[in-house]
Amino acid sequence: MNILTGIYLVMFFIGLFLIFIFIILHLRYRKSLNAYPVPKSYPTISILVPAYNEEKNIGETIRCLLALKYPKGRKEIIVINDGSRDRTAEVVRKFTEKHKEITLIDKPNSGKANSLNYALKRTRGDLIAVVDADSYPNQDALEKMVGHFEDEKVAAVTSRVLVKNKERMLGKFQVMDYSIIAWTRKLLDFVDSVYVTNGPLSIYRSSVIKRLGGFDPTNLTEDIEITWHVLSEGYKTRMSYSAIVYTSVPLDLKTWIKQRVRWNLGGIQTVRKYYKSMFSNAGNMFGYFVVPYVSASFILAIVGILLFIRYVWVKGTYQLLSAYYALQGYDYFRYFEFSFSFTLLIFFGALFFICSIFHYKMGFRNSETGDKSVLKILAYSVLYRALYIIPLVAALYKLAKGDLRWYTK
Amino acid sequence: MVHQIATSRFRVFIEAFLAVCVVFLIGFSLGYFIESGRADALMRYSQGYEIEALDLRLQNYYYQLMGEDTCTLAIEQNFLFADQLYEKGLQLERYEESNQITAQMVNEKKLYVLLKTELWMNSILFKEKCKVGFDTIVYLYVNEPENSAKVAEQKIISNVLKSVKESRGNDVILLPIAGDIGLQSVELQKRIYNITSLPAIIINEKEVLYGFQREEDILKRLSE
Repeated sequence: MNILTGIYLVMFFIGLFLIFIFIILHLRYRKSLNAYPVPKSYPTISILVPAYNEEKNIGETIRCLLALKYPKGRKEIIVINDGSRDRTAEVVRKFTEKHKEITLIDKPNSGKANSLNYALKRTRGDLIAVVDADSYPNQDALEKMVGHFEDEKVAAVTSRVLVKNKERMLGKFQVMDYSIIAWTRKLLDFVDSVYVTNGPLSIYRSSVIKRLGGFDPTNLTEDIEITWHVLSEGYKTRMSYSAIVYTSVPLDLKTWIKQRVRWNLGGIQTVRKYYKSMFSNAGNMFGYFVVPYVSASFILAIVGILLFIRYVWVKGTYQLLSAYYALQGYDYFRYFEFSFSFTLLIFFGALFFICSIFHYKMGFRNSETGDKSVLKILAYSVLYRALYIIPLVAALYKLAKGDLRWYTK
Repeated sequence: MVHQIATSRFRVFIEAFLAVCVVFLIGFSLGYFIESGRADALMRYSQGYEIEALDLRLQNYYYQLMGEDTCTLAIEQNFLFADQLYEKGLQLERYEESNQITAQMVNEKKLYVLLKTELWMNSILFKEKCKVGFDTIVYLYVNEPENSAKVAEQKIISNVLKSVKESRGNDVILLPIAGDIGLQSVELQKRIYNITSLPAIIINEKEVLYGFQREEDILKRLSE
């Protein structure tokens, strides 16, 4: 067996192992996906909304936050205007005049994490909720999340993010993407492994976040970093699948790539910060599963890219050389042939592919998108998921150059 | 301890791990079964060809003793055997590419190279003795090319030669021979024909061509 075959087999093994985990978790807990603990009491909550140039969205976000079902006087809304150069502050000010529960903090631009830390010092709530300025929670979102905090070990609870703007092909693919992300994240909740508390809506135990020093301003994905921080301290994170928040997603490829590059860079930064916790007892599942799982995902993706480049190189060389010789009289089209022979890798590749389709189908069936045809799943896997390569390669390139400035404000 | 794991959150990981192990066990067993079947089939063929090669050698002695009137029959046999060897050689390569668990069939490959070399020698003898006009094209290639450009180049050359064989049928004996698998008889031929690099094409034991050649250019060098 050559090295290349060995690498492929290891990749298939890890890939199948992860898919089987999700399939087993789903089969075991599918009836509990939407369950959440009904709160016995309602802790005070400070909702932080960092905003930078959000004049178009902030109004609707605030209206959604005002409409949230939560006992009167138990919630406050703090909008942090992070040095916006548009009319964000002006829009928010109009709301503050009518609603006493809304506070506007104006500060020079310093990024999301710094804005959150700045506001954190001024919060009084037992819990703090972080809501992106272009995200819109359902009315019942908070009450479907806060019950989790009755477990003293829970330090963060996240919600299910759905796509608001479903226009264009890229928007439609992201609807599918966000559904799968939410579904797998919920399944990981059953093994105490929710490793991201998303930006659109997550709630944190205020005392824990303050004790840990707040959000890390050097990390490009402060939501991943804070989750790993609380997990590494032995706290639990939860996800409420029935608490829904809608968010605006990029509809052009350039913005989508920019967003995903930031996610990748932040993810890699976080792995680098916490990799020493791998297989340690710190946070139990954190060391034994979360860190190895996310690290393995990055490694698999990188190895996958290298194998893909090799494949393209080998096939490309043949095609280029054929085209070159075709200029000298070689009959290029005459020798086009397709032969098929059973190989071990084809067997595992086909099995992995079938399991992936089954896994996606299961996820869609249990999300707001509903069941999807195999054809649509194929289009999603082949046309959209393949795009994941671009931001990952760009992130690795930026990381190699040590260039993170583009993403800091 | 076992009970603790079976009822803990780690249970799902153990179940998933065991499930993948079972799948891999089935996959490997199936793969091994199919690959062994292919290897056995090739072994059977090569044993059969060893006998045919001996037979051909005996026929050769016989034809040398007998008059020139036996030439047609001898050449017919030579062509038949050459075509069979060519087809099986292609099959061997395909199997070798597909087989991922079982060891490479190096010995079978060496045997095929020896048989082809012997056939080549036979062809040279027949050409001299029978004075008939058939052509031999010996294609010496690299068995394990060091880069994808070399792989592509060899595949293209092999396609062109296949096409030449198809267009000239029984007027041409095509003998693709791995030129770098450590066989003294092949090394000797490389020295005789002063082969400096691979891949190389030897046409009628006279001309040595290197690299890509157009089909028309090869056809021009063959007998009319």
